[in-house]
Amino acid sequence: MDMKRNYYEDVQLFRSGVVVFWFVLFMAALAVFPLVAKNYYVYVVNYICINIIVVLGLNILVGYTGQISLGHAGFFAIGAYGTIILMTKAHLPFIIALPLGGLVAAVFGFLVGIPALRLEGPYLAIATLGFGLTVTQVIGRTDFFGGRQGLHAPPLTIGPWHLNTDKEFYYLLITLTVLLTLAARNLIKTKVGRAFIAIRDADIAAETMGVNLVFYKTLAFAVSAFYAGVGGGLYAFVLRFIEPEVFNLFMSVMFLAMVVVGGLGSIMGSIAGATLLAWLDLQLRNIVAIPYLGEWLETFSKTYMTLTGMSNIQFIVFGLIMVLIMVFEPLGIFGMWIRTKIYWKTWPF
Amino acid sequence: MRNLYGKEWVMKKKVFGVCVLLLTAVFGLSGFGLAEEGVTDTEIHIAQWGPQTGPAAAWGSIPRATGHYFQMLNDEGGIHGRKIVYHMFDDAYNPAKTKAGVKQLQEDVGIFAWVGGVGTACGLAVKNYLMAKKVPWVTPATGSRHWIDPPQKYLFSTFALYSTGAKVHCKYAYEQQGLKRFALAYQNDDYGKAYLQGAKEQLAKYGLKLVEAIPVEFRDTDLKPHVRKLKKAKAQATLICLTPMHAARIVMTGRQMRFNTQWMASSPCSDFPLMYKITKGAWEGVIAATFAELPDSDLPLMKKYRAAYKKYATKEERWGIFYYAGFGFAEPLVEGLKRAGRDLTREKLVSAMEGIRDFKGITGHINFAPFDPKDPWCRQGQDEVFLVQCQKGGKYKVITDWIEIR
Repeated sequence: MDMKRNYYEDVQLFRSGVVVFWFVLFMAALAVFPLVAKNYYVYVVNYICINIIVVLGLNILVGYTGQISLGHAGFFAIGAYGTIILMTKAHLPFIIALPLGGLVAAVFGFLVGIPALRLEGPYLAIATLGFGLTVTQVIGRTDFFGGRQGLHAPPLTIGPWHLNTDKEFYYLLITLTVLLTLAARNLIKTKVGRAFIAIRDADIAAETMGVNLVFYKTLAFAVSAFYAGVGGGLYAFVLRFIEPEVFNLFMSVMFLAMVVVGGLGSIMGSIAGATLLAWLDLQLRNIVAIPYLGEWLETFSKTYMTLTGMSNIQFIVFGLIMVLIMVFEPLGIFGMWIRTKIYWKTWPF
Repeated sequence: MRNLYGKEWVMKKKVFGVCVLLLTAVFGLSGFGLAEEGVTDTEIHIAQWGPQTGPAAAWGSIPRATGHYFQMLNDEGGIHGRKIVYHMFDDAYNPAKTKAGVKQLQEDVGIFAWVGGVGTACGLAVKNYLMAKKVPWVTPATGSRHWIDPPQKYLFSTFALYSTGAKVHCKYAYEQQGLKRFALAYQNDDYGKAYLQGAKEQLAKYGLKLVEAIPVEFRDTDLKPHVRKLKKAKAQATLICLTPMHAARIVMTGRQMRFNTQWMASSPCSDFPLMYKITKGAWEGVIAATFAELPDSDLPLMKKYRAAYKKYATKEERWGIFYYAGFGFAEPLVEGLKRAGRDLTREKLVSAMEGIRDFKGITGHINFAPFDPKDPWCRQGQDEVFLVQCQKGGKYKVITDWIEIR
């Protein structure tokens, strides 16, 4: 069905006019969204966008290159602190500080990538986990980074524009998310992307074929960390205040869960996974407000659980959704999408 | 057949008409019925966040208690004929969730004023948002200087600053006990640093310096090296400004290592029955600062709150300082609402709050003053604590009256 007859068909951005049409429509909807939606939902979309950026990067590492990272909150923190410090201490404008913050994270990504040349699977997971925890410890103990007191984000201006409300920030975030998504998609279609995939499928075979493992493995870490760093730099401006405890282990695990739930090795999956889990993360606290189900859950928790049982139900539901997706669709949300697409393309047969 | 279609069409039109009418009524009423956001003829919407899950879930009793306090007030008839509608949400101590919840309630429900709120980072994530919207916020439930420095017109803090506790400890140990060698073990964060600053300032008045100041990290588990340093410095009084867990550990380690000192603990460690239990009795003799009346106090207000606790709280809720603090933190707001009168607006609430002098609920005396951007104290209501000493079995012994210090 998806047969490609030449190289250019493989690398083209849009497969058909229909896809272009939907893309344009989707972009238009995104542009109009803040004009019709309440500010709260704009904030939620901003939060989701940041997760998308990080998960795109993490998917390049985990889904495409077959490495693992449990320390992405560390790169995220480096990006956040890097951006704020470059703006407040070095007085750089935001548009320079943000990519520089991402680059600082990329340098750390490169460094973490070096042990990855010798470590695999669970060993690599532990090494990256250690890195993530170390970052917050170092930041927390260093006065230059504000220690445990944290840092306040400076006012955000780009040239003549002041981006101080969620709606103003939204347009910047959407633009960056679209650009970074296209960049990730293009990267995968190039020589570099094919090298990543080759490493994932069989690294020894890849090396025999002439793929430089040292270069490409560290590059995958650096690219992934760059995405996380840029996401972190933007997150600092969503919260407007950061402190080390925000970037905890749970955050790293969440990023990884988004990749797996969305679909390993898929750009679409990254977006879907980040959107679903970030949305649930913010929204499940309103579970009691759902008619009937909410009331039933509340009675259930008061009868059979502890004082705060109700609040913990959101985590149970959260976990349940993840488990169910994995059980019924091991390829994640992307897998569901593929199946639906095939179903409709071959309908009614 | 044609007739039938026609009928259906008329039906659809009718339904549509009714829908439009209903929608207009709903939106119209909600739009024009409000004089001020969050206030109707019969209701005032107040909200608070607090962790019910996650690492700081133990603090979650504060917002629950505030809910019971408002229930009590509503059953007494409310404030100027209005009932308080209380919105509480769980943010799991995660600032991103705090910000989401605050925005949602503020924009969807329209909150008149915010009360309490656990967590410095959580509060800082929403401070600018609430201030930009000119929404009053009374008593963030942490003793940070961020709330009053620089002062904000719509933000009233009453939680006694941690530096106040440190100063009172030093004053008592120096003036009453005649101790000269002071040391401090502090948590390496906002909370600990504020305490350190307070201790330094007070000791400077006596021409003294801390003989040792040791930062303790959140993840430290073995506190022997810390105690060894304190012992080497021959500290006569050791101030501790830590989480209850670390405080318990350092005092127990101190006892094991035969380090004789007068331990003096900050207000978060003033829940003696709990501390006595987790230290297996080592907490006996420790002096702590407390910002609210004691759990077994005979004050009429405390008796009333205990009755409310029995009436509204679930069985598992424990009557302790971090429960009834939820009552105490909301008292200044309620006082402000009462003073603002029936014709309630946010501006009126702010000027009523500014008029509060020597108000005494179950925390210390509370004073506010008209807004002065140069004076942080115009927005810091409480500047006094009193000292208690732990007795056998975790009983309290009051050793000073309320001591006011800035």
